[in-house]
Amino acid sequence: MYRAIIIDDEPYARDELRFMLEKTGLFDIAAEGANAVEGVRLVNSLRPDIIFLDISMPVLNGFEMLSMIEKSIMPYVVFVTAYDEYALKAFEEKALDYLLKPIEDERFRMTLDKIVATLKSGEKPEYNRMPLTKIPCTLKNTIKLIDLKDVEYIRSDITGVHVVTADGEYLTDLTLKVIECRSDLFRCHRQYLVNISAIDRININENLSARLFTRSGREIQVSRRYLKTLKDHLGL
Amino acid sequence: MNILFTLIQEMSVFAVAAYLYSKTPAFRPLIKGGFGPRDIFVIYVFFSGITILGTYLGLPVGGAIANTRAIGAVMAGLLAGPYMGLAVGMTGGLHRYMLGGFTAASCGLSTTAEGLIGGLVWLYLRKKNRQDMTFSFKTAMFTTMVSEIVQMIIIVAVSRPYHDAWALVKVIAFPMITANSIGAGLFVSILKDSKNTIESYGAEFSRKALNIANKTLTILPEGLNEKSAKKLAEVILSETGVGAVAITDKTHVLAFEGIGADHHHPKSPISSEKTLESVTLGRVIFLDGINEHYICSIKDNCPLGSALIVPLIMENEVIGTIKMYEPKNRRFLGFNQSFGEGIAEILSTQLLMAKYEMQKNLLTEAELKLIQAQVNPHFLFNTLNTIGSVLRTDPDKARELIQHLSSFFRNNLKRSSEISTLADEIEHVRSYLIIEEARFSDRLKVSFDIEDRLKGNCIPAFALQPIVENAIKHGISNLLGEGIIKISAKERDGKCVITVEDNAGSFCENGVSAAGIGMNSVDKRIKTSCGEGFGVSVSCDEGELTRAEILLPLKGVNDV
Repeated sequence: MYRAIIIDDEPYARDELRFMLEKTGLFDIAAEGANAVEGVRLVNSLRPDIIFLDISMPVLNGFEMLSMIEKSIMPYVVFVTAYDEYALKAFEEKALDYLLKPIEDERFRMTLDKIVATLKSGEKPEYNRMPLTKIPCTLKNTIKLIDLKDVEYIRSDITGVHVVTADGEYLTDLTLKVIECRSDLFRCHRQYLVNISAIDRININENLSARLFTRSGREIQVSRRYLKTLKDHLGL
Repeated sequence: MNILFTLIQEMSVFAVAAYLYSKTPAFRPLIKGGFGPRDIFVIYVFFSGITILGTYLGLPVGGAIANTRAIGAVMAGLLAGPYMGLAVGMTGGLHRYMLGGFTAASCGLSTTAEGLIGGLVWLYLRKKNRQDMTFSFKTAMFTTMVSEIVQMIIIVAVSRPYHDAWALVKVIAFPMITANSIGAGLFVSILKDSKNTIESYGAEFSRKALNIANKTLTILPEGLNEKSAKKLAEVILSETGVGAVAITDKTHVLAFEGIGADHHHPKSPISSEKTLESVTLGRVIFLDGINEHYICSIKDNCPLGSALIVPLIMENEVIGTIKMYEPKNRRFLGFNQSFGEGIAEILSTQLLMAKYEMQKNLLTEAELKLIQAQVNPHFLFNTLNTIGSVLRTDPDKARELIQHLSSFFRNNLKRSSEISTLADEIEHVRSYLIIEEARFSDRLKVSFDIEDRLKGNCIPAFALQPIVENAIKHGISNLLGEGIIKISAKERDGKCVITVEDNAGSFCENGVSAAGIGMNSVDKRIKTSCGEGFGVSVSCDEGELTRAEILLPLKGVNDV
């Protein structure tokens, strides 16, 4: 059994796909998500082998969602879309396959064969992904997209990953690692990423650690381990 | 005193000359300005003749001639400019010089000067942009008075012996200055009178042309065909009062009205060679019945004797002709070639506008077809997918969805008229929204609030659908939480206001939503059919709501 997740904004579409997948007896449908943010969260927590991903979804589409997933836990992706204007792009993204809704049985069987063959081979999924430009943050009932250039720093603690801007702090489902890999934010501490252009000044301590102050006056720790690379990066 | 009376007597000769001259075609260029070589020659000959006549009619006074020579020279300058004044003055002067006498040289010289003075006044008035003042009694009188005074000074200064000259001037100055000034004034008054008559003739032409333009304005929008040509011919016939009017396209007669309609039949091929010539060359042909006669190519004893053939030109291409005829016993009176050209120009412009209007309508129609065909494929396939899924769990609901989908498509296909009722449009949108509600289950709520008496209000077909679709596509589809769409129709300030509101408020920039193509085309269609005061406007509040308002005239479909 492969662990699978379905992400689609239409409940009936998820139902239908779940029905078809379960009938094959090949998949354990670990969860369903109604949007990309839920999708990222589910991938991070459930580490599925494969996701069935709708492309056109509110706020963030399927391609954008992929750009927010850590490379090491990237699952195989089968795009499921109602209209094939995206099909070509789906292939460019090197998705494992794509399906058109409503899904034809014949076509579905071909996809299943492909999935089984690929997953058996054990090779890692490799996708060209679009660059990360915005970080989705969860508010009470909406998603706020924060532009990377507005971010001062990002820190992680036991409660989650916090995106800090001049205006405030927001919780995101993306991991520090994903953001570090997919953006220009700089790792200055095990738990901190900083936006170099938001740095106002640096105080170097005697014990060779340092403190950064951002433009809005917030303070960030720089650990000894990262201080040298930071200095190099800044040309100090 | 004797001299004065004699000179005044002579003026009657000039008055008659002025009157006769003003009735000949040679006078026209003086009114219009802009002379051809022929006009220049005629004007030169006429005024030189007047000048020389002034000399001959003069009264010998002690070896000199008391005369009215000045009138011709000054008039030439005043009415036709300094070159003409100078030429006429010199001619008259030279002629006087050859007659001899002790003032031969001074009089010759002064006549030239008088022509020049008239010309200088002409120049001055032109510079002041008061050309209208050249045809004025006062201008002519004062100019001539000044010229005559100059002449007296020249005689005293140039003629020898000085004593004789002085004695002569003392005798002739008063009568000559008076007679010439008044004579010039009268001369111009007569010309002016004739000028006014000619100009009011022009005004009459303009009035006729405007009347025709007015009446054809409603005819030509359908383009040039037999029906519109017939109406057009009737209008021209009644407005111009000519004998007959024909309208042709490039090959056939489209309409014929008036005298000779018994044998000139519409639909027959053009038989007149002159008409074909006008079509090929794109030129006005005037068979005035004097120099050139219209010869009917159909019937020998056709009563028509003269014709004006004017090509109708659209975008540099002749598309037909208008022919105006007069019978043999009458000639074109209220009418001339340029009038015919003017009418053709007006009609050509109207035809061009008609063509433009037609293309605009075609465009709207094409856009309408596009909107109809523009059923979002996403919507179609997702709906089919939804139905496929619902079928397993709730067959009754699946049936219902299929019915709504069918009704939605049927509506899309069948609607052929441009105008629909609000009730029909709401029904169409309702099928669409019921399906969308099913697709998004708990994520979409729709409410309607339509005033009953507005249900029969007219609205361009498919005007509502793109707006609602926009609210779904750009609004609800961008909300993670519940989407709410409110559709209402109310009366406000004597207008029917339809509001489509969503709670997403996305793509909002400074309170202005980036409206979709569908919205713009609906706005354009409403403005085209209802006027600039109506259409679609969108306001929004970032993250809170987007509100599209459709403003329509308050009227039922039957009132249209």
